[in-house]
Amino acid sequence: MIANSNVWQQFVWVLTTLLSHYRRHPGQTVFMAIGLMTGVALWSAVQLINDQARASYADADQLLGAQAGFWIRAEDGKAEGVSVADYIALRRAGFDEIYPVIESRIATADGQLVTIIATDLLALPINALGGTSGTNTPFADDLFSGRQWLPLIQPTYEAWYPQSLANQLGVAEGDQLLLSSSKKLPPASIQAREQQGLRIFMDVGAALSVLERSTFSYLAVTQLDLERRQLLEQQLPESLNLVENQQALDLSQLTASLHTQLTAMGLLSFAVGLFIVFNSVRFSLLVRQGTFTTLRELGVSTQILGFAIVIETLLWSVFGTVAGIGAGYLLSGLLLPTMAVSLQMLFGAIVAAEIGLSLTQMLTAWALTLGGLALALAAPMWTRARMSVLASRSPSEWWRVDERARWQLAAAAIVLMAGAAVMFPVMDSVTDGFVVLALILFAGAFLLPTTLHLSILLVLKVLPSSSWQARWAVSDAFSQLPQLRIALMALLLTLTANIGVSTLVDSFRTALSDWLEVRMSADLYVRSDSLDIDELHSKNSTISINGEPSWLIDSHLRSGVSIRWQNRPSRIEGLDISAPDSQAILLADQIPNGLMEWQQGSSDSVQPILANEQVHYLARVELDEVITLNTPNGPMMFRVVGFFHDYGSAYFRFYLPNRIFESTWPSASTEGIALWIRGNDFAAAEQALINSGAEPGDWVSQRDIKRISLAIFDRTFAITAALNGLTLLVAGIALLAALLAIHQQRLPEYAHWRSLGMHFSEWFRLVAVPLLILVTVTGMLALPLGWILSWMLIHELNVTAFGWTMPMLWSWPPVLQLAAVTFSVVLLALGVAALRVRATLPTAIKQLASNS
Amino acid sequence: MDFVPTSKSSTKGNTKTQRALWFLLMVCYGSWAYADDSYQLLRSDPTGYAEVKPNREWRFPEDHQPHEEFRIEWWYLTANLNDEAGNQYGIHWTLFRQAMDSEANPGGWSSNQIWMAHGAISTPTEHVYKERFARGGIGQAGVELNPEGKFEAWLDDWTWRGNSASPFPGTLDFEVDDYKVSLALNASTPWVLQGKSGFSQKSSMGQASYYYSQPHIDISAELTRDNVPIKLTGKGWLDREWSSQPLAPDQTGWDWLSIHLDDGHALMIFRLRQTNGDDWFSGSWINPDGVSETLGADDIRFEEIKRSSVSVSEGQSREMPLHWRIELPAKNLAWEVAPLSAEHWLNTAFPYWEGPVEVTGSTTGKGFLELTGY
Repeated sequence: MIANSNVWQQFVWVLTTLLSHYRRHPGQTVFMAIGLMTGVALWSAVQLINDQARASYADADQLLGAQAGFWIRAEDGKAEGVSVADYIALRRAGFDEIYPVIESRIATADGQLVTIIATDLLALPINALGGTSGTNTPFADDLFSGRQWLPLIQPTYEAWYPQSLANQLGVAEGDQLLLSSSKKLPPASIQAREQQGLRIFMDVGAALSVLERSTFSYLAVTQLDLERRQLLEQQLPESLNLVENQQALDLSQLTASLHTQLTAMGLLSFAVGLFIVFNSVRFSLLVRQGTFTTLRELGVSTQILGFAIVIETLLWSVFGTVAGIGAGYLLSGLLLPTMAVSLQMLFGAIVAAEIGLSLTQMLTAWALTLGGLALALAAPMWTRARMSVLASRSPSEWWRVDERARWQLAAAAIVLMAGAAVMFPVMDSVTDGFVVLALILFAGAFLLPTTLHLSILLVLKVLPSSSWQARWAVSDAFSQLPQLRIALMALLLTLTANIGVSTLVDSFRTALSDWLEVRMSADLYVRSDSLDIDELHSKNSTISINGEPSWLIDSHLRSGVSIRWQNRPSRIEGLDISAPDSQAILLADQIPNGLMEWQQGSSDSVQPILANEQVHYLARVELDEVITLNTPNGPMMFRVVGFFHDYGSAYFRFYLPNRIFESTWPSASTEGIALWIRGNDFAAAEQALINSGAEPGDWVSQRDIKRISLAIFDRTFAITAALNGLTLLVAGIALLAALLAIHQQRLPEYAHWRSLGMHFSEWFRLVAVPLLILVTVTGMLALPLGWILSWMLIHELNVTAFGWTMPMLWSWPPVLQLAAVTFSVVLLALGVAALRVRATLPTAIKQLASNS
Repeated sequence: MDFVPTSKSSTKGNTKTQRALWFLLMVCYGSWAYADDSYQLLRSDPTGYAEVKPNREWRFPEDHQPHEEFRIEWWYLTANLNDEAGNQYGIHWTLFRQAMDSEANPGGWSSNQIWMAHGAISTPTEHVYKERFARGGIGQAGVELNPEGKFEAWLDDWTWRGNSASPFPGTLDFEVDDYKVSLALNASTPWVLQGKSGFSQKSSMGQASYYYSQPHIDISAELTRDNVPIKLTGKGWLDREWSSQPLAPDQTGWDWLSIHLDDGHALMIFRLRQTNGDDWFSGSWINPDGVSETLGADDIRFEEIKRSSVSVSEGQSREMPLHWRIELPAKNLAWEVAPLSAEHWLNTAFPYWEGPVEVTGSTTGKGFLELTGY
């Protein structure tokens, strides 16, 4: 008992002694806290966003709070949507599990695209509960939750905007959004229903009127058992199809790669955060080495010392988790809206705006923090604690340890590189790709200390022996290096990520923009229910009207059908082969004369077809391979003669010449018509369109399409840029922490120098020059690593993940910009450290005097 | 809860008005804040809507059609049926119409009319029910003469079709869960105008409705479950009522009863519970030929015998008066009323108890009891 209480007392005493370090060095404590917090925060923010998005995909078979297990849609291409009469007939046949939906993307007067979702609240299904009947209608929930829905369904109606969409569109309560069709949406109410996403919710009656439609986009159906499903299929008119809602599955599949990429970035941020912790730990060990030795000399057992270290680690991990997740939660709230817009635009995924924090996330974050800390804090402390009592008093032992560490890191780097070299040829998935990337990046980072050491030796070698001041300054790098090592490794990773990702984004943006230039070469794109295309053509020949040159140079009528192919939503489109954009389709690859063969068609039953690159990379279809597509006349075979670029598309897409397409899918709907206009005579074009029955707002100019496409692109990568910037900030903090530690530790040395008459400016040069050399060398190493990273991202990961290729575009301006930012950050950190030295130096000199 | 029926004057009324008002106003103006005191809704101002006045000129079959200028209206059928073995069944089907505002109905998708329907089937072993909603103007629900000029009342596939412009003779088809029921409805006695020639006052403060009934409906029905049909026969009761006017401020709920006696008479009685204790009583006594006599508070004794536990949702139950003693002192008649089963709570968006009852006493009979506000 007594022994036990003694041990306990001893433990408390040891722990207090260890922790007192953090009280005596508040600056270091703050950096350690920041390192842990930012690492966990960035990682958990990404994780929260991913989880939120995935949870939303799982809800994709829900619509506005009701189940939507099935859809009833117009048979591919047969009609524009489902008629009210067909819907009422189904309800009157007893199918009360059906409700009407209008989902439509429309342009506002100032050219923004918004999505409308509308249904009839009163028709939303009421679920039977268990054995006895009951009510569980979402609309009744509305009633009970006090939401006032009556104004929604009654003229003048209401349009419900989620807060973030309202902010984005600048819509306030009661505002009526003006559409490009010059119609106005009903007065705004800022509220949202479940699974509304960033869509405007309206009553279906209001939507029919505002959108000037007479049909629903589709009917949603709740769950159906087999018997009920068969009954419904029997009663459906020929023109309608019952299809299973596979959105939940589709979305998880389509977005999986995107989330893997985000996770990788989150983990990188966590790693960078851990570098700060490593740094702080090194310092705390260095400062406490005396303490450890004294404690051991006083007879504290290794076990007790070890246990105290474990408790210290645990305390830090709890702090890191709680503070990090808190900050991550706030950060994800800032990043999610951008992400949600991208997901909705790219994949049609509806992501709820509220972020939920789960226990699993907390525990995962804690486990990760603890793991990281164990690595960063406990392991080296344990080594120190076990170091022989006498050895730890000897400075030469420290030098030896440092050199050994450098060589160990270099050896580890070689092992990692070997691992990457082995894995590279066999990697098969996005995750594999990221593992290879991680191996390369960390190999680079681990190689950095040796590279820096060798670089300094090299600089010393080329410096003339007469310039002793320069040699002194460069040699000072040896003193700074052990402390700066880890901060510079963090900086290297950050710079590499920045260079790699910005090259990826730049390449992608350029490829997309060039591709849009070719693909969207027409001046006007028209999509109209009311346009009489034959009349437009007959009245507006492409040569002349009444002897005057016509405004119309050329036109291209496209039609298409949506199908499922290889269990993915896919499109087949019919193209006018003589249209300018069909003549100039950008092919990534083709069989010899593939395009010409495609244009001419085949005399046998297997027609040539063009497929997007996604078909090649994701469905693994090769050139000249024969594929089977389902047509109204049963499965038909086509030969793939070329792959075209289709940037950003999540779907499989096929092109056929119009005449083949129309004979195969005779009832396909018109996708729209593209018009080439002479001399920018838009006024004549628009007048002709109106004369042929189109409504204002039915067309959009090429310029607008490009602008919108690139805006979506930029938004999609905004989160990448944000994470990059934040990681650079973290690296800057790591550097500052390291510099403060170095200079605080070297204060007595500086006091000596000062007392020997060295000026502050001389001192500054002495410490700045080696630092700048070290940062420059780090930056130089980041260049090839960044190049490798972007090459991997573009040529391997992007292809595996999304199924399209693009040329890699290396450009120097962003690299130079990054260099400028980096040097600014370094100089800022150095400035702060220098000011601190200046402030504390007098005390150090006094101490020096009193010691001597 | 003992009470002595008292009334300041001989008044007539009908709680179906309040019941329907409660439902419909909840549907159309409801919010949970209100739902706690749903009657508050029923007191809302009827300004703008048509007013219920005495001495209405009745026109049949036109009055079977909707009266959209009034806020609320319903077609309310209850029936006590038997199979060949003598097992008892209860059927309850209602269609409610509500105008969301007092403007003229613009029709189509802009229609200001909303429809709600309840269907319930009570068998010797279970009680199932379902509710449905629909907007007016789009053909999903309504009451109108079909192109052949025949009466039709429907919501989705729940449909009452007359052979003529009158609901009788006619058929009613609806299904709840696995049960499908098809009723053939016949009535040969005249329509009973409730209250004072169909003007049915609700409280001493002047609230009223237009109200007529058909208490003598002969029904033969087929109830099908899992493709097994059961033949049923029995008696039904239809109430037609419309109003714009809400409840009196001090009325909290009601107990309503309709009875088919074996000697061919029919009886309807209700009590409107008031916070000040002066409960409101009314009813009618109808002979086998359909000739009715309105009953005022002084003509009726309507007392609870005991309260029973009714399960209202999973793990929750409430005490409700399911057993009653009725007396018509002037006629020297008395009965006791007991439910076939206590478990007839409809846990719908707007919940209430409605189920078949057995009558013993001066004569035997069957009927339907409705309890709200418990």
